Amino acid sequence: MNFGKQLKEGLISQNPVLVQLLGMCSTLAITTSFFNGLGMGVSVLVILTLSNIIISLLRKIIPNEVRIACYIVVIAGFVTCVDLILKAFVPALSNSLGVFIPLIVVNCIILGRAEAFASKNGVGAAAVDGICQGIGYTLVLIIMCVFRELLGAGTFGAGLLGGGELGAAPGLRVIPEQFGIKILTMPVGGFLTLGALIAAMQWALTKSKNKKKEAK
Amino acid sequence: MKIDPKFVIKVAGTLTVIALVTAALLGLVDGVTRGPIAEIEAEKTRIAMSAVAPAGSEFTDKLEIPAEAIEAAAAQGGKVMELYGVKAGGYVMKISASGSQGTIVMMVGTDANKAITGISVVSHAETSGIGTKVVGNEPNDAGVGVLDQFVGMSGAGSLVVKKNIVPITTATVSTKGITMGANAALAAAEAMG
Repeated sequence: MNFGKQLKEGLISQNPVLVQLLGMCSTLAITTSFFNGLGMGVSVLVILTLSNIIISLLRKIIPNEVRIACYIVVIAGFVTCVDLILKAFVPALSNSLGVFIPLIVVNCIILGRAEAFASKNGVGAAAVDGICQGIGYTLVLIIMCVFRELLGAGTFGAGLLGGGELGAAPGLRVIPEQFGIKILTMPVGGFLTLGALIAAMQWALTKSKNKKKEAK
Repeated sequence: MKIDPKFVIKVAGTLTVIALVTAALLGLVDGVTRGPIAEIEAEKTRIAMSAVAPAGSEFTDKLEIPAEAIEAAAAQGGKVMELYGVKAGGYVMKISASGSQGTIVMMVGTDANKAITGISVVSHAETSGIGTKVVGNEPNDAGVGVLDQFVGMSGAGSLVVKKNIVPITTATVSTKGITMGANAALAAAEAMG
């Protein structure tokens, strides 16, 4: 178990969104404000870590033939728990993320990590993998949210900052409203932002690979 | 192909045990969250009810919906989902009726004289930018809020789009959905006396 290496994989070289291209649907849909991105990211992080731990613990008991069914039951259980807890204690976040919380059940990141990592590694490593991949996912969501919110709506931290109730706060105004690039707040803006981010990530990864080659 | 019974028991058993443990965990979480969620839902309903009843109205708890009210509403094309009494007289009902893209769920308030005191939409699937104009109570072709025009109207079945209800052009079907709900609420109110 190597925390540093796993963290680097989760954040950069094996980033779930930018490199593995998993969890696209939620990434595109909810990255309209900082509040949404943070809420969704943390929800996925918690569910991913818990389901990784349980699936790693059960990896020797679960028969190979029904493993996917077992994973889905475990994941769905945790997702429903998080959904209920958000509904009860953070209703503003639950309202704003809507159906995307229950849809975490079919988020490929979680099933993907269960199948590719947790079912083959020990509990400690699986937990660390969940945390690192979760942080990687959250970070991408936050970058996309900040970018789209700042350039699209001209605010920072809508839902969290700027006074008012949690979820309804207007955010801090950085750019006057009439200068916002409205298209970025629309679904098409999600695709554009994500495409740009993936391109930037690939550029950086290739560059560092080439450097290593040259050094050799 | 012969399947080993031991294998079946192992596969089915593991899946069953995992499902049972998950169900137990969900039961536990549900026990903790049920109270707060019910409170939040009740608060939402209270806000929705206040929006369609005269200011300062007090409401009863949820009432049993009488069979004749359900029948009367169904005859007008709507379904009474929830029923509350207004203490000063009249009812607030949650009604569903079909819009252009699916069901529109609305709160409709009626007063003691069985006239509408307000309509607000709770949930819908109308087309964004077209049907949503009706849902958002935007001005109709006569310049009045399309939901506001129902206030004070009475007589189940007497509300007809393009006769005494003015639609928003291009969103006639959505307006008809609301009208259907309004007629159903009036019919239910009349049936309950």
